[in-house]
Amino acid sequence: MTVFFTLTLSAVLLLLLTVAMALVLGWANQAFHVAVDPLVEAIDRVLPGANCGGCGYVGCNEYAVAVAEGKAALNLCAPGGVSCIEALAELTGQEATPALPYRAVVHCAATRDQRLPQQKPLYLGEPTCAAANLVAGFQGCTYGCLGLGDCVRACEYDAIHSIDGVAVVDYDNCIGCKACAAVCPRNIISMVPFKADRMLVVACSNPDNAAATRAVCPIGCISCSMCAKKSDLMQMENSLPIIDYNAYQDENDFALALEKCPRESLIFVGKPSPSDLEKVADEELPERVEADFQTTVDKTEWWG
Amino acid sequence: MDNVALLVQIFFGAALINNFVLHYFVGICPFLGVSRRIDMAFGMGCAVTFVISIAALLSWTFTYYILRPEAPLPSWLWRLAGGDPEVQIDLSVLSYIMYIFVIASSVQFVEMYVRRFFPPLYKSFGVFLPLITTNCAILFACLEIMKHLQDPMHLWGLAEALTLAIGGGVGFTLAIVLMAGIREELELCDIPKPLQGAGITLIVAGIMAMAFMGFTGVDQGIQNFLNAMIE
Repeated sequence: MTVFFTLTLSAVLLLLLTVAMALVLGWANQAFHVAVDPLVEAIDRVLPGANCGGCGYVGCNEYAVAVAEGKAALNLCAPGGVSCIEALAELTGQEATPALPYRAVVHCAATRDQRLPQQKPLYLGEPTCAAANLVAGFQGCTYGCLGLGDCVRACEYDAIHSIDGVAVVDYDNCIGCKACAAVCPRNIISMVPFKADRMLVVACSNPDNAAATRAVCPIGCISCSMCAKKSDLMQMENSLPIIDYNAYQDENDFALALEKCPRESLIFVGKPSPSDLEKVADEELPERVEADFQTTVDKTEWWG
Repeated sequence: MDNVALLVQIFFGAALINNFVLHYFVGICPFLGVSRRIDMAFGMGCAVTFVISIAALLSWTFTYYILRPEAPLPSWLWRLAGGDPEVQIDLSVLSYIMYIFVIASSVQFVEMYVRRFFPPLYKSFGVFLPLITTNCAILFACLEIMKHLQDPMHLWGLAEALTLAIGGGVGFTLAIVLMAGIREELELCDIPKPLQGAGITLIVAGIMAMAFMGFTGVDQGIQNFLNAMIE
């Protein structure tokens, strides 16, 4: 009798509770319904969904809300590219203003050996740029790339690597999310509008005078102003040349400036030119070595 | 005054001495998952405190009136069905399923309510609410309350139950915010690869648990202090 009663009571109680909760939640779902703008949903579907944050919003959804409310420009999504902007323009009925693909550019090209002299005692601290930037004497140049790869770790797209101690962007992979620019403690990565496949950039961030720069780097800019005199699109600011990318048309504008540059501070980045490809045409590609993950899982950067 | 002393003891017991996360090791998933940044951790802590209070309120009500031994509702129904008044009807087998059920649906309800009527609040911690519907810290609080409703001589009232829940929530917030602070500093450290991520986090959690053992006996001290004040 007791067992039977307990069982029945349990079953009835749970059944009642289930029905009651189902009714309450069903009613609440109706009563507290929040209408989501169908436009926001449509925009959200068009966006790439990478949630990279390059547009300045927390995620793709936040950007979609801002676009739907008309608070954000249509051309902020770097990964989406032109097709995304066109789709957004169609959805919102606004005019499409295609944005140039902004890509990260490292304003330093000196390898670790070139940035010597490393002073003694050698830096043996944390192998991160953020930590190395805090101490003096890591390397000669106090403005250039530290080469410890904070940007490499920040990049989710495998588009930036530390090669010979200097960060080099892989433009096949870069989507322009600005993650590397945000993390660089020396602020030497900036976003440049790529109007052509290869762009001329200033590969030095050292604003010191000629003697001081020469003392720490064999290729850094010595602020001789030759390029600024030879090209209208360049001007000196803070002892460094600035390229006016708004007026940038063609790399041919810079032929004279390049010729006159006594250092190697003006370089092209992006896709290689046909003449460059010709030069290396007979060279064989090195065999690509695939990592054997069964034996080489450890990428420990242990300096201890 | 005795009652207040008990409440203070329950509060500090749940918040510091028997901290849910660091003493009982419940609620570890959000403790490890959402402790990357201090602001996120604080949001999570607030959400847990909020939900744990609601869960305690509901589970105390259900336990007191239905699930505990000698609870009024089943006894009344038993006598109504003509059963022997000497025999007890004990429905405590239902406690787990009942608690999970009640917590999950009430959190759903609260989420919908907050989303409709307090959009800023929903934005700040609404996203965490679905994560903690079946959080073990909350179920643990309910079971702890149930434990204190077993002996008819020393029944906890609603005030004690809510104090335990809020104390547990505050303790969880404290632990997760401390953890987030440590993890933000860990970002700058050179951790050997095998220990990166979850490994070093668990080690830190263990050290924090040992540090919290230092609070053992504080409840006795507080009780002595309050007794001295009464006298």
